[in-house]
Amino acid sequence: MGKDRVGSNKGQRPGVVKSAGKSSNRAFYIAIAVVAVVGIAALTWLSTRSANRNVIQLDTSLPAVEAVGYVMGSPDAPVEVIEFADFECPGCAQFAILTAPDVKTRLVETGQIRLRLMDFPLPQHRNAWTASLSAACANEQGKFWEMHDAIFGSQDRWNTQATRNPLGVMVELARGIGLNVDQFKECVESRKYQPNIQAHLTEADRRGVRSTPSFIIGSRMIPGAIGYDTFKAYVDTALAEAAATGATRPTGTPQQGSDSANAAR
Amino acid sequence: MLRRLVALLALAGIFLATYLTLYKLGYIGTLSCSVGSCETVQTSRWATFLGLPVAAWGVGFYVLVFALATMWSVGSFAASPALGWALLLLTGWGVIFSGWLTYLELFVINAICQWCVVSAILAAVLFVLVVMERRRRVDSVRHEPGGHG
Repeated sequence: MGKDRVGSNKGQRPGVVKSAGKSSNRAFYIAIAVVAVVGIAALTWLSTRSANRNVIQLDTSLPAVEAVGYVMGSPDAPVEVIEFADFECPGCAQFAILTAPDVKTRLVETGQIRLRLMDFPLPQHRNAWTASLSAACANEQGKFWEMHDAIFGSQDRWNTQATRNPLGVMVELARGIGLNVDQFKECVESRKYQPNIQAHLTEADRRGVRSTPSFIIGSRMIPGAIGYDTFKAYVDTALAEAAATGATRPTGTPQQGSDSANAAR
Repeated sequence: MLRRLVALLALAGIFLATYLTLYKLGYIGTLSCSVGSCETVQTSRWATFLGLPVAAWGVGFYVLVFALATMWSVGSFAASPALGWALLLLTGWGVIFSGWLTYLELFVINAICQWCVVSAILAAVLFVLVVMERRRRVDSVRHEPGGHG
C-alpha cells in the first residue's frame, strides 16, 4: 500500500509532492529536536536545582552540633519515633493539630513510645526559620512543646502568605505561653540555636528525608501527615520488632536528652 | 499533521514520565511538604505496578507511542493499517490505565499529583488524535473515487 501511494503521487505531480514532503519532514524533525532539547534542558535544570536544596542560609562556619531534637516521653520507652517537621508546612500542622494529641496521650504518656522532633525548615518556606528559632528559644526556657503547639496552631497568622514579620507573631505567642519575652527576643534575633537546627537538616539529609512531615518509627520511614490509626499500626509493628530483637531505638539515633542540654555553648 | 502531533506529544510525554520516574526514585525534585502534592501520590502503594514505578511504565508507553507515531508519520510504514490499529489499542489502553490512576488519586488516595494529571490528559489527547486521524483516513478513502486503502 505504501508503494501504491508513493507510485500514484509520483504519477500525478512528482516534483511538487516530493519537495513538499521533504520540507515538511524537515519541519517535523526540527520540531522533534526542539521538544527533545526543551525536555532534556528541563530535566537537567530540575535535577541540578534539587542538588542545591541545602543552600538556605546554612552557615558552615558555625560549630558542628549533634542533632538531638526535642524529646517528649520516657527514656525507657521501648520505641522511639523521630518526626521531621517544618513549622510552616500545612501537612505538619495538620499532624500536630489532629494526630499529635492522641499520640501524646495514648502512646507517649502510656510509656510505649518516646517522640523526638527534629525541625526541618524547608527552603521554600520563608518564615519557617523564624519559627524554628523561636521554638528553640522556647525550649531554652523549658517550654518547647507549648510553643510547638502555639506555632502550629497559629500557622496561618505568621506564614509566608500572612506576614513579612513573623517574629512579631512569635513574640506574641511567647508572651501567651508565659515566656520571658526579652530573653526570648534576644535569643531569636541572635540566631543562637541556628547550629542546632542546621544539625537537624544534616541529619534529615543523612536519613534521606525528602518531605515533611516524615516519621521514623522503628525500622521504617513514613512520609506524610498520617492519621492516628496508621501511626499506631506502625508503632505496634515497631513494638513487636523491639520485643523480638531487644532493640529499643532506631539505629543511629542520637544520644538521650534534648537540645536544651546539648545547646550549652 | 495529526500523526506528527501524536509523535511530538508522545515525545513530550516521554520527558514528563521520565521526570515522574526520577522523582519517584528520588533523583529529582525539591523537598516538600506533603499536602495535596505529589508526595502522597508517589509514596502510596499504587505508585508501583508489577514491581516497577507506574511512571516507568509511562515512559515505556510514551516511547512506544512516539516510535509508532513517527513510523506512521514518515517512511515506508506510513500507510500500514496495522500501525493505526496498534496506536488505537495502545492509546486506548493508556486512557483506561491513566483514568484508573486518576480515579485512585481523587477517590482513594485523596491527593492530586499535578504532573500525573497532566500525563492523564496527554494520554486522552493522544487517543482522541489517533481516533480523529483514523476517521479522517476512513472518510477520505470512502469519498475519494479510486482512493487507496
